[in-house]
Amino acid sequence: MAQGGRRGRGGEEVAPAQAAVGPAAPGQGGALVVAGATAPAARSGAPSGHVQHMTAWRKRRIAGWLFLTPAIAYILFAFALPIVYNIMLSFEETSPATIAHFTAPFAGLANYRYVLGDPTSQAAIVHTFEFTAGSLFGQFVIGFALALLFTLRFPGRTLARSLIIVPWLLPLIVTGVIFKFLFQVEGGAVNQLLFDIGIAQHPVDWLDNPHLALWTVLIANIWLGVPFFTLLLYSALQDVPVEVKEAALMDGAGPWQRLRMVIVPIILPVIEVTLLLGFVFTVKVFDLVVGLTGGGPANATQLITTWSYNLSFQQFNFGQGAALNNILLVLAMICAPLYLLLSRGSLNASSGAGK
Amino acid sequence: MTRLQRSPWLRWLCTLAAAGALVVVLFPVYAVIVGSFESTQTLFSGTYYWLPHAPTLDNYRTVVNAQSGNVLTSLIVGVGTALLSLVVAVPAAYALSKYRLRLTVVLVSSLLVCQIVPSIVLATSLFVVFHWTHLLNSYPGLIIADGTYAIPFSILVLRAFFFSLPNEVMQAARVDGASEWQTFRRIVVPLARSAVITVAVFAFLNGWGDFIFALTVLNGSGIQPITLGIYTYLGNYSTDWGAVMASAAFAMVPAGVLLVVAQRYIATGLTAGSVKG
Repeated sequence: MAQGGRRGRGGEEVAPAQAAVGPAAPGQGGALVVAGATAPAARSGAPSGHVQHMTAWRKRRIAGWLFLTPAIAYILFAFALPIVYNIMLSFEETSPATIAHFTAPFAGLANYRYVLGDPTSQAAIVHTFEFTAGSLFGQFVIGFALALLFTLRFPGRTLARSLIIVPWLLPLIVTGVIFKFLFQVEGGAVNQLLFDIGIAQHPVDWLDNPHLALWTVLIANIWLGVPFFTLLLYSALQDVPVEVKEAALMDGAGPWQRLRMVIVPIILPVIEVTLLLGFVFTVKVFDLVVGLTGGGPANATQLITTWSYNLSFQQFNFGQGAALNNILLVLAMICAPLYLLLSRGSLNASSGAGK
Repeated sequence: MTRLQRSPWLRWLCTLAAAGALVVVLFPVYAVIVGSFESTQTLFSGTYYWLPHAPTLDNYRTVVNAQSGNVLTSLIVGVGTALLSLVVAVPAAYALSKYRLRLTVVLVSSLLVCQIVPSIVLATSLFVVFHWTHLLNSYPGLIIADGTYAIPFSILVLRAFFFSLPNEVMQAARVDGASEWQTFRRIVVPLARSAVITVAVFAFLNGWGDFIFALTVLNGSGIQPITLGIYTYLGNYSTDWGAVMASAAFAMVPAGVLLVVAQRYIATGLTAGSVKG
């Protein structure tokens, strides 16, 4: 049935229709909810008199809050409490013994001073920047190229588009392990390929060479993230009105000019949201690196996430781990205001175009 | 683009390019499946065989004994995460889209912010919090932790869906005397079926594939999902690749099944700003 519905509407119709919701979904912020909810409240109020209206309105408000109660409780317990507690931990002198007591002696800025002065933490911060920048660049370029490819009509494109998302569905630790297997020095598929086509005579030590290992992790992460970029950008490209593309063609614009001057400006909001989400995912990558290198060799692929894990769970310095966590949190949150802003912006764009 | 579409040669060139991309995308999956049937000798021969070399079921024999309990654990965690996400997210999304509540904007903004919080930040604190609340090494603890991937995402996706539901539907139910809960339970939830399935599929995949919380809040014997099972095969100097490949093949099964059975929902979920990790 799922298949039938999909094909019936014509493969390309389903995805783009959803895509309008896509990046905009998070942002269907205040604007719509107010518009959606005022109307019925006013309508039900008018005919049924003031007092009745008040009680009905109050009953509905209470119901609304009851519907929200589990979510609020969950957010407080699973997000707010850990974040606050993480801040507390980062100012405490923790040890394996203090964990049982929930609090530890106040340590001032000692944990932050330690983390910022520690060469491995510094390296982890630098690696995180390099890894994030490299991933976003690779994922965007390849993802956009594939998205453009999928806008063309060719035999097999529906199948190709549905299979391209496979990397995104696999558990991240599995991806890490697979790439560890493929990039082995001896008996790895990548070295075998390089040898078979005559590029490399000697096996490349992809994961054991400190100068190469971060590149290898980067390749794996690009492989992992391309489908996400392809799908979101493809959806956005589908929403570019045909008339606009044809008008540009009439004006004699070449393919490159059409892309740069016409298409990119139209889909820019989606590009921004996609890059932003990509940033958020990449900054928190953990499983992939643990599966692939464990942060080695010689900490060459240590990221903030993996080093924080090491500090907290292997050295049992929860205070130091928490301090590093907060640095990561600040780094990730840099984009939060932008995310909120963009989500709201693309909401208006999509509600205009979509309906 | 229109010119391209007329030329059959260029169309086949596009097919070729897409096929090339698919080879890169799917090769690792192929390598796992082939590798899971190879003997230890083949895997450690120093040569990579592109085609099955000497197929054997040895790895699966090893893994079925060692990992079947872990597969069951992962199923419980995946289903648990899906159920928790639905219980928390469906009513919340409904309230945030169809009720005029003062904190709507604040709550939606905080959900967006929740999606940004890295899991390691939560894992470090949850370890201590769970220690304190006796949730370490328990299914409820792991499921609550895994919900941090799925719940903000689920609420936002479902909320976007509820906006498309006409208010008249609820009005009609209320006029007929249905309570707010009955309206929600009997009218709204059935209408939201496809969005609910999308969200459940993703929550399941999140719970099934979670590694970081399993690594931190389980921290011991007892419960062990398949992701942790694979990890324990990875040695610093020697890795039992046969066992790794066979358990990786198991870990990929839900993704494969859902890609076939629930493809429509997966495509929807992905474009709805999917969040992972």
